[in-house]
This record gives sequence, structure tokens and C-alpha cells, in this order.
Amino acid sequence: MMQKKVCMLGGFAVGKTSLVRRFVTNVFSDHYHTTIGVTVEKKSVTVGAHDVMLVLWDLYGEDEFQRVRDSYLRGSSGYILVMDGTRRATLDTAISLQETAARTIGAVPFVSIINKADVRPEWEIDEPAVEQLRERGWPVLLGSAKLGQGVEELFALLATQMISAPVLPGD
Amino acid sequence: MSSDPRRPRSDSSSSEGRASVEEDWTQLRTLLLAPEQTQLDELRDRLDNREIQPRDVSRVLPEAFAIRGERDQEMSSVLAPYVENGFVAAVRKSPRAIVDAIAPIMGPAIRQAIARALQSMMQSFNQSLDESLSLRGLRWRVEAWRTGRPFAEVVLLHTLRYRVEQVFLIHRETGLLLHHVATDATVVQDQHVLSGMLTAIQQYVRDSFGASQDQTLDQFHVGDWTVWIEQGSHAYVAAVIRGTPPASLREDFRAALDDIHAQQADALTTFAGDAAPFKTTQIHLESCLQVHYEAPPRSSALKLWILGGAVLLALSWWLLTVYQTHARWSNLLDELRAEPGIIVTVAESTWGGYHLEGLRDPLAKDPSVLVSEAGFDSSTVKATWSSYYALDSLLVATRARSILQSPSTVKLTVEGDTLVATGSAPTEWARETKRLATFVPGISHYRDESLVTTSIPDLLTQINQTVVHFSPGSSTVEQGELTALSSVAAVVRQLDQAAFQSGQRVALEIRGSADETGPESINMQLSKARADAVRTVLGGERLGEATTITTDIVPGAKRRPLNGNSADRRVASLHARLVQEGKEISPP
Repeated sequence: MMQKKVCMLGGFAVGKTSLVRRFVTNVFSDHYHTTIGVTVEKKSVTVGAHDVMLVLWDLYGEDEFQRVRDSYLRGSSGYILVMDGTRRATLDTAISLQETAARTIGAVPFVSIINKADVRPEWEIDEPAVEQLRERGWPVLLGSAKLGQGVEELFALLATQMISAPVLPGD
Repeated sequence: MSSDPRRPRSDSSSSEGRASVEEDWTQLRTLLLAPEQTQLDELRDRLDNREIQPRDVSRVLPEAFAIRGERDQEMSSVLAPYVENGFVAAVRKSPRAIVDAIAPIMGPAIRQAIARALQSMMQSFNQSLDESLSLRGLRWRVEAWRTGRPFAEVVLLHTLRYRVEQVFLIHRETGLLLHHVATDATVVQDQHVLSGMLTAIQQYVRDSFGASQDQTLDQFHVGDWTVWIEQGSHAYVAAVIRGTPPASLREDFRAALDDIHAQQADALTTFAGDAAPFKTTQIHLESCLQVHYEAPPRSSALKLWILGGAVLLALSWWLLTVYQTHARWSNLLDELRAEPGIIVTVAESTWGGYHLEGLRDPLAKDPSVLVSEAGFDSSTVKATWSSYYALDSLLVATRARSILQSPSTVKLTVEGDTLVATGSAPTEWARETKRLATFVPGISHYRDESLVTTSIPDLLTQINQTVVHFSPGSSTVEQGELTALSSVAAVVRQLDQAAFQSGQRVALEIRGSADETGPESINMQLSKARADAVRTVLGGERLGEATTITTDIVPGAKRRPLNGNSADRRVASLHARLVQEGKEISPP
């Protein structure tokens, strides 16, 4: 079976761990737990005729105090950028993280998701902002780890992109 | 020739001439272009018939597979379901053929797996056996009982010096698992997640301490486990080890990793997530699954045997003692039950000693004597006896003799509930016994028809008539006199008994005398010797408790011939009388 390393990137408390847990174990918890360092999970998905094992590196959220380390990104076949729709600043963090990832591991596939669609009225990220992201070439999904919306699609989309992407030689 | 239509005729029209030319051209074209025409016809047929001919496909199929296979994995994905279905159908249709085909592969693999399982089981069994009887083994048995783990596992853990339980081959950059091996007894968690975490931990530690890329985390400890990490250029080996491994083990890991890098150089360089090529690293990783146990010291085996022997001896001795004690106790109970006048109602054996309860006739044998004779300490046997009258004939007879104070000349026997007296007895005793006999417990009737009764005066007369004759100058009782003296002795004893019962005493005087020949002094000595000789024959002091025997001599002046014969003076005569509280009763 093909294995792919995938990094979960995003600002502090945007819901990276919740998305992973919803995806891997189909469980959501309202209790917030800060990820210290990295938590690794895995789940197999099927893309066409391919079975792919996604090894998910759930990295701690980036904020003004700690930056995501390049070493965690190395070797990733793809990554997921997670934003919190209720906090506009997480979009900027995502853009910054995408630039860091592109610089570190090159043009590997990625998808982005704006989380917390279950509280859509409270969103600070509006449609124009989403459109701007799409104009940058970002695949953008709107979803909710709490409701399970868009989660399967998120990982399936990334898996499809990784399978169809040409294999680039390592550094 | 004129019949040939293709040949022009001289009288034919112009149209016919043209036709002839056409035919010629056709013929010429056929002659010149026949092969090409055939090829053109075939090409036309192929273009007209769009269906692909199997023969054509068969020519290009292998090459097509090879070309597409080099490009991507699509061919494998497409073919996989058909291959699977075909295989399933083949198995159903002809399982024997499949078995024959895979037997050469599966056979060695199964044998190897069984051999490893047996080896592991035997190792565990041997370790358990070695430690099963030692003091340490007992301590581990308690630990096994306390922790709920199998004893064999506890033994293995304690005797284990080190054991490599899992080996991971992990791609260095991605942290993805390339291959993994583990021992049979190891509980394997999710090795893919663990591989990722191991990689993340290394990067975290390196980043946290600002270490460079070539400074790596080589090992860490978790409880009983040590994780050793050996880095390679593209992959690293992480070994999970229980116990304390020797430094030389790392050399083995290094060698295995170098071999893998040498053999899988291309696969490692181009690794993009497909770990299938690394299955061939199994043999290298399995070589790292090493285990080493403490060799049991030889002395411990000797100690074990000595200890085992001592325990066995002690156990045997204890069992023998218990058996002997039990046998002695059983014999004692049998003896007590067989003893007349003793009835055992309770006999218990406890940790502290023994307990006996029962009934005992006062005339029965003392049970404590039987207990001592059986070898038991009287302090360990607590006995409680209640008194009762036993009706055993032996005891009834004893009781009758005790109560009735029968003389030794009387024999008392018990027949059923009847007391029978035989022998001889004083008249007074016979009369008193007839009155008292039925009061003895166990006696209802009394018979004495065979009892000879004599009165005290008769007895005194019989004694006082006794004269023992001696040869001249001799003080030896002659053979003929001995029989008579033995009868007299019985009469004296009878008198003694009768006197005792009546509270009197018997004073028996034996008087010796000599004839007148010879000097007086010699005769006096001879007289004294003759009296002593008769006294000795009568039994001396043993005649009875109530009898006092004295000897005397008859002085010469008082000697008188009994029958006017000097032989009548070479005698010893007996003189008995009753004495009561200082008052002498003269013989009749």
C-alpha cells in the first residue's frame, strides 16, 4: 500500500486536531487540547483503484510565540492548511504557512479548509476573502469538524491530488 | 487461336481494338505489380475491417505491458481485480494444482514458523523448569501470582539479559515505515504511527537543542525498554530492546543497515511511499532480533539438587514419623480397647497432642502405663477416665479376691455370674465368704462344694505333730522327709492366712535335738543345725506375713526318748501357737 506523509498546518486553535480525529476516529470533542509538538495518526483511503495510507502529522498551531519548524514539513507529500472562519487572522497565518511550506518542500499538493462552518454567522472570513484565496490557486473547502462537514472530502481531495501528482525527486 | 477472345482480330471493329488494348494493359499490370497489388488488397481489408485481430494484439501485448508498467502503476491496478478473480476461480476449480504450485514456497515458511514457535516454547519451558524449585523461583512464583502473569513470562523477564523485540526500518526524510519485524511474543502497536512519532521525536529533540543534522538521538529509555536508533543516509533502524543490551549489538544493527542501503540504494533514493520493495529487507532486520538470557550458574544447579534432596529427606522423615506415630496411636487404642475394664469412648488426634476419654474399672490396668509403654509422652495425651465396674470374668474374680481376702490356698474362679471357690480354707473364712460373695459386683451366685475347710485348731494339731528324723551325726534333711515337710509348709501357710484374717499371729518354733552319744557341745551344735535345716526346707521367712519362725535346741538334761529309742532323739520337732496382742493361745 502506498504511504503518504501529510502535515496539518494552521494557526493556533483552528481545529487541526479536531479534523484529524473526526477523520480518523469519527469523534469530535468540545474540549480543547493543545497539541504539544506533533501527534501522528494514520488512516487509509481509496482513490480510484489505489489504496493510500495517509500518515497525518498533526503539528502544533502556529502563533506569534512559536513557528512551525521546517524539519517537520520535510518529506511531506502534501499538506492541509486549516483556518478558523471566526478569526480573520488565521487566514493570514495560513498564507504565511503556505509560503513556508512551498519554500521548504516545494510545490507539493495541498488543500485548505476554513473550519467551524457550524457557526457560520460568526465568521470573519467573508466570501471575497475566500475568492481571493481561490484566485491564488488554493483549493478551498468550507467545513466543520464538529459536524463532520467537508472532512472526508478534504482528505479525499488531497489524496487524489497526491496520487496524480508527478513524483518529484527528493532534495 | 482464333477462339482466344483477348487476341485482336483483323476484321474486328475499332471498339474491339480498344478493348484488346485494355486487356493487354491489364495483363501487363498484373505481371508487373502483382505483389504490390496483393499488399494493397490486404491493407484495404485491414482498413475496411476495424476489428483488432488477436494475432495482432498478441504480437504487441508483452511490449505494451512493459512500456505502460514503466510509466505508472495503472496497469497493476487495472489487472489486480482480474488476477484476484482468476486466482480464486483457479483455487475453486483445481485446488490441488495450486497446492502443488505453492507448496515449495509455503512448506519452508511453515516449517520455519513452527520451528521458531517450538524453539520459543522450549526456551520458555526450560527456563521455567530451571527456576521452578529454587528460592528465587519461589519468589518469582509469588510475583506471578501477585501480578497475574504466567510464571514462564516472569521467569523470562528476570533471567532476560536483553531481547530485541521490534526492529523498524524507517525512511529518514518522511518518517514512513519501510519494514518492520517483531518477535512472536511482542504486542505490536501501530507501527506506522510509531514510525512517524519516532521521527518526530528525533526532529523535536534535535531542533530543541539546536543540534545539527548529523547530531542525532541515538537512544532513549522507557521503563524496561531501550530504543536504539542507528542512522543511515536514507533510512534508519530503530530497535526496541528489553533489558540491557551489549554495545556490540549496535555493530550488528549498523551492519544490517549498511547491507540494506547497499541492496536497496535505488529504492531508497526514489522512495515515494511504496514500501513493497523493502520486504526483501526482512532477513536483515530479523538478524537484529537477538535475545540473550543469563546462563544459570553451575553451582546453583548443585545447590538446587542439594536443597531438593534435603527437602525430600525432610519430607520423607516427616512422613515416616507421622506414619509411625499414627501406627503407635492405633496400636495404643487397640491395646486399650482389648484391656479388660477399660472402655474408650473418645479418641482424638490434634495438632497439640491427643485426647482420650472413657470408662475404667479401678481394678483394670492403669491406662497411663499403657500410654507410656506405647512411647507417648504422658503430657501430650490428655485422658479423662470415669470409674465403673466391669463385668469381665477376670476382673470380677480379681474383685472377689480383693473383697473376700481369699487365702492363697483357695482358688476363686468366675463362671458366668457364679463365683466358684476351690482348694482349702479355714472354716471361718469359708463361712464368711458364703455370706458375702453375692455382694461382690458381678457375682449373683456362690459355690464352694469343692472347698476343703479346716479349723485353726486342726491346723495347729497337724503342725505340732510333725517330727523330722535325722541320721546319726547328720543335720541334712533326708529325701523321705522332704515330701512331708512340703505338706507341712502348706498347712503352715494356711494357718498363717487364717491367723491373719482373725487378727492373730503364728509363733512357730523348730526345736532340734541330738542323741546322747558324743560330747554335749557337739550335740548342741548338731541340734541347732538340725533346727535350721528344717527351717530352710520350710521356706525360712517366706511362710507368711503373720508367722514368726524361731529355732531352738533341746538341752541334754531335758532329752528323753520318745519311744525309748535313741533314734527318736535325732529329730527336729515343730511347735506352733497363736499369739494375740501379747496374749499367747496355747495349742489344743
